[in-house]
Amino acid sequence: MRRAWELLYLLTFRELKLRYQDTVFGFLWSLIRPLLQGAVLFVVLRKFIRIDVPDYHLVLLAGLFPWTWFQVSLVLGVGSFAANGALIKKVYFPRFVLPLATVMNNGVQYTLSVPVLVLLLLASGYTPNWAWLIGIPYLLLVEAVLIMGVVLLIASLDVYFRDLEHLTDVFVGLIWFYLTPVIYPLSIVPARYHDWVLLNPMASLIEGWRDLFLHNQLPGADMWPALVFAAGAAALGSMSFRGLQGGFADAL
Amino acid sequence: MRSERGRDLDVAIAFDDVSKHYSLSLQKEATDIKTALLHLPKFLSNARRPFVALDNVTLRVRRGESLGIIGPNGSGKSTTLRVMAGIAPPTSGTVAVNGRVSALLELGSGFHPRISGRENAVLNAVLLGLTLREARDVLPQIIEFSELGDFIDQPMRTYSSGMFFRLGFAVAVHVQPEILLIDEVLAVGDAEFQKKCMDHIHGLRKQGVTLVLVTHDMMNLPMFCDRGILIEHGQITDEGTPQQVVHNYLSRVEKLLALRVEERERLKVAQGAAP
Repeated sequence: MRRAWELLYLLTFRELKLRYQDTVFGFLWSLIRPLLQGAVLFVVLRKFIRIDVPDYHLVLLAGLFPWTWFQVSLVLGVGSFAANGALIKKVYFPRFVLPLATVMNNGVQYTLSVPVLVLLLLASGYTPNWAWLIGIPYLLLVEAVLIMGVVLLIASLDVYFRDLEHLTDVFVGLIWFYLTPVIYPLSIVPARYHDWVLLNPMASLIEGWRDLFLHNQLPGADMWPALVFAAGAAALGSMSFRGLQGGFADAL
Repeated sequence: MRSERGRDLDVAIAFDDVSKHYSLSLQKEATDIKTALLHLPKFLSNARRPFVALDNVTLRVRRGESLGIIGPNGSGKSTTLRVMAGIAPPTSGTVAVNGRVSALLELGSGFHPRISGRENAVLNAVLLGLTLREARDVLPQIIEFSELGDFIDQPMRTYSSGMFFRLGFAVAVHVQPEILLIDEVLAVGDAEFQKKCMDHIHGLRKQGVTLVLVTHDMMNLPMFCDRGILIEHGQITDEGTPQQVVHNYLSRVEKLLALRVEERERLKVAQGAAP
């Protein structure tokens, strides 16, 4: 088990390194992309459509950053068993580290983008408080477990049914993204839809991040969908991985 | 089933009635909806056609023994190693493995061309079974064995294929296995490096490492192994001293070839006589 964690650490580190090696901007790319996306969305939604939300740029980025972690991990992670067929067929090692390394790698990038958000918050007169010390690790953990569970589940099935890579890409990018309060806060959704929107684990999670960053508020009982889904996804993900991994080497 | 129970301390690997079936058509057609729907009856019948790679194999490898496996292509040799390594579970039967296994089914699996040999060596060693600390401890020996010199800190895309395999081999033999499975990877590098690899494997054998070697090199088998088996069509068809097994196999192959040559000659004569 210890070896599995070390392997996870080494693979995460390698992926991070590979992503920035031989590039001029290196790690900055991890910030440029969401910031650019944020800037465009800000212009379109705030200036053109005139969404009426105070400090909209902060609301937007506090949602967009953690969402990016989720989306990129899923899109890159669900194919990680299928893409590493050669290795899986030749070496016996704890294979679950492959998709988890992708989740970790993107988690590290998200964590490193938080200081940018803090700078913008400070510039707008917000000040962090002690709640962050508990809130950030707590939300990081919940989101990591949630993503890992989902990625492990889909990546395991993807070995046998490759369409899942495309399905995930379409579903997460085109449907899930818009149904989650990422580019808008939950508060502007009419109250009668709230219960439905909050059934989405990413909705309660993103709102949790916003409450922490913008209102210094620790996540409370409203977070239950994210907690339930994280636990369920982790259980389902590890179960399906265990059940299916024996056939990986033969199916790939 | 892979079990650690019923430990017999003298036995490193025990196969009891091990069979391994592959579903041939499951691999391509099942993922293509259009083909599946267009050829539904054929698809359904095809999906269940198994290929028997191993057929009720019972086998014991004693601790410290060195077993050589020979046989024609596609007879089940590599499948045997894969099942031993735990990479693919058997379809039926029980497999018991006592000890840390290192499988050299392919050298340099998992090496990444864009990072340095040093970093690849550490990752590869952990992948093959060492802890991170063990990997870092053994790294100087790996680097020395590989004879890469300054190249060790260059990205591996700059390596020649010989350098690539040398590093792969160096990592694999320094993983300190109790059971070493080798699939046709001995002949790497130049003659000098090959000699070094052979010496190292002899050294491992002296230390009591159990060795299972799959090879097409009939000369090497008697050099490395205490016992040989011949696998054909997923079954063990001969067993004995390496010299014996190789001799029996080669003389049969020669007879077969001779028969074919004879037949061709006869055909030529017949064709020549016809007009």
